[in-house]
Amino acid sequence: MADQAIAKADARSTAQGRFIHFVNVIGIYFAALLFVLLGFALQAAGVITNFASAQNFLNIVDNVAMLGIVAVGMSFVTYSGSMADMSVPTTMALSGIVAVQFLKVGFWPAIAAAFAVGLVIGLVNAVVVGRFKANPIIWTLAINYVCMGIIRVVWVNKQIYPDMIASTKDVSQAFDAIYRLEVVKGLGGNPLASLRLPLVMMVAIVIIGQIVLSRTSFGAQLKLTGSARKAAKFTGVNVELITGAAFIVAAITATLGGLTVTSLSRVGAYYNGAGYDFRAVTAIVIGGMSLSGGRGSIIGVLGGVLIIGLINNIMTLIGIPTLSQDMIRGAIFITVVGINAKSLRSLGRDDA
Amino acid sequence: MSHVGKKFPGTIAVDDVSFEVYAGEVHALVGENGAGKSTLMKMLAGSFDDYTGRILINGKEVALHSPTVAKKYGIGMIYQELSLAKPISIAENLLVGRLPKKGPFLDRKRIDSETRSWLSRVGLDLDPNLPIEDISPHEAQLVEIAKVLANKPCILVMDEPTSALSREEVDRLFEIIGQLKNQGLAIVYISHHLPEIFAIADRITVMRDGKKVATKDKAEMTREEVVQMMVGHSEREFYHGQPRASGGERLRVEALTRKGFFHDVCFAARAGEILGICGLAGAGRTELARVLVGLDRKDSGKVFLDGREASPRNMAAALRLGIAYLSEDRKSEGLALRLSIKENVLAGLIPMHSKAGVYLPEAGSAVLESLMRELSIYPRDPSRTVGNLSGGNQQKVLLAKWMACGPKVLILDEPTRGVDIGAKMIIHAQIERLANEGHTIILISSDLPELVGLSDRVMIMRKGHFIREMAKEDCTEESVLIAANTDVARPAQEVAHG
Repeated sequence: MADQAIAKADARSTAQGRFIHFVNVIGIYFAALLFVLLGFALQAAGVITNFASAQNFLNIVDNVAMLGIVAVGMSFVTYSGSMADMSVPTTMALSGIVAVQFLKVGFWPAIAAAFAVGLVIGLVNAVVVGRFKANPIIWTLAINYVCMGIIRVVWVNKQIYPDMIASTKDVSQAFDAIYRLEVVKGLGGNPLASLRLPLVMMVAIVIIGQIVLSRTSFGAQLKLTGSARKAAKFTGVNVELITGAAFIVAAITATLGGLTVTSLSRVGAYYNGAGYDFRAVTAIVIGGMSLSGGRGSIIGVLGGVLIIGLINNIMTLIGIPTLSQDMIRGAIFITVVGINAKSLRSLGRDDA
Repeated sequence: MSHVGKKFPGTIAVDDVSFEVYAGEVHALVGENGAGKSTLMKMLAGSFDDYTGRILINGKEVALHSPTVAKKYGIGMIYQELSLAKPISIAENLLVGRLPKKGPFLDRKRIDSETRSWLSRVGLDLDPNLPIEDISPHEAQLVEIAKVLANKPCILVMDEPTSALSREEVDRLFEIIGQLKNQGLAIVYISHHLPEIFAIADRITVMRDGKKVATKDKAEMTREEVVQMMVGHSEREFYHGQPRASGGERLRVEALTRKGFFHDVCFAARAGEILGICGLAGAGRTELARVLVGLDRKDSGKVFLDGREASPRNMAAALRLGIAYLSEDRKSEGLALRLSIKENVLAGLIPMHSKAGVYLPEAGSAVLESLMRELSIYPRDPSRTVGNLSGGNQQKVLLAKWMACGPKVLILDEPTRGVDIGAKMIIHAQIERLANEGHTIILISSDLPELVGLSDRVMIMRKGHFIREMAKEDCTEESVLIAANTDVARPAQEVAHG
């Protein structure tokens, strides 16, 4: 009898859970659409100009692509129950500046050097957080400052330019092309409608990420680890390895993001990647991924990235200063985390 | 307490019990795990606001619907688990909520002197400013008692107060209890430990299956009668006790040692055998299991599985060898409560159901389907969230997870703790079936009828040593309990109580 009552309540909660998940994913894209409409409305009202221009949509796509690459990797860390990788900004900056330095040797050595740097940072995070169970936020924040220090000391606060360092003009052009390469040129004869490398990379990473999370044994073990770390360990999941692997994934995508940003700005500098940590976390949370782990999807995270990209774009067009933009993003983050916590509590799962 | 009762979803924990305790009396309350002693006392402590029946104090009916109210009526509870906050000082713990003040500030001098006077009541001479984490567990136990006394109770309930105490400290506690009794307090003393009860109690009430069996003066009862009443025969019929044709030796453990936890443990278990391990919490049973499945390191000794040495370095390796461990802590170590029945049952099979890294959960559909049927997991919908199931069904899901892995050796640590009788019967039937199919079961349980009813042999473990082996023919609940209780080779409070 009691079982029947429990089953009834459970059926309700399960259905509700599914419904909320559905609403979450659809809702994120619906919200993104609302922001597009908001942009049009603001332009119609004369508050902003240029929102509905091809050039502006390209800007949005580029920003979304770079943030998307980084956020998808970081969402593996979130999914594994380790919240976030705060070392992303300097992983991006350091891998970028090292790549520029190695352009002296050649294009592919530069790429290899960037990934070597990213992998080392990822491995250190993997060992310290995975194996030695350091607090992920505190530890990756510390690593972030250490890497920042390395950049400042080694390059004595200087910015370095690919075209000045590269051995030949071809090498420098190849590096420029990371951001600018048109994979599919001028769809329908329109030069603005070409698909460039960052977008192609992001789409590939989103698809791969979604498949890995939902269809592979790594993804299944990641879910188990993120949902109930201890139970996963007692079920024979190597939780240390799994957690560590998530940090390595985050470091690899941060390296890709770092190369793209550096190629875009044509300068290797400590500030490349600044702000990507918080923007990625906000996108992940808006995308419906639970900060406590084991819940959410990469498709959702992509929706979150779209929303962040649109909000940034509109705020910039309105002319809101960068620092105020940070404030607004912070307020959005707090609101979303609060709403998530509340809706989960109402389902009787008081873990946000 | 008159005709009181308390239901939990699916079970009646206390059923129409009447119980009285007089001023100046020590009234012992005995019964096996799950007999309803603790629930009865929790009612008295105001833990439930939906009990039935009436509770009278000094002849007046009271409504004990919250712990605050219970405290106001002078009911003091001393629990098995400490309720002290570890990082703060003895004084702050002892005088919590009513620290003496001088104006807006704390009156350090009075705090110090008051704490010292309460501590001296329990024979302690400690610095009141020491944090709880810096004193020993038995000192903390005595501080706990002092804390309850500081609230000046008229009824004092003690739930297994001696489990963390040494012989001398038990003697001192008994002296204190004697003094309190002479001061006119009514004392309820809950224990598994019969020698203690016969040493301290004036009257004894025996409970079984949520009902009162009898209340008698100590002089009218013998130890054997009490054991008989505790055990009863209500559960006996659940166990078929059919002799099993067990196969060859499956697991052999030689002089296995993890320092500080267990020492020189030797035993062997055959295929198709249920080997029971009986012992007090802290005897090293769980620690032994953890070493066998590679969760902890051994210091010395050897383990052989099917004649080959097997020392898995982690749980994954143990599973590959065919050793699985069902943890006693269902909620944190056993299940992923936020995931579905399906995800939980198939969790141990992820590596086996993956091809080239691609996980194919459909490969487990047949296993899942048949396990849910065999274990009558309710509701029969594998997409349901495990955290929303009843305790019994959660435990069935946990057992199903390990049955799905088909281990050669399955170590079950308290497989029916906190589970209703229906689920318990199903789990027992499955354990017997597993053994009949040739799996080796190592059953760790504090539930004596379960241990004796299911096991082919019982090993009694104490303080990290295997002290005795009992064959099925010699095992009755009485004999195990009496053997454990009358063993005089070691200080009495270490004796296993099952």
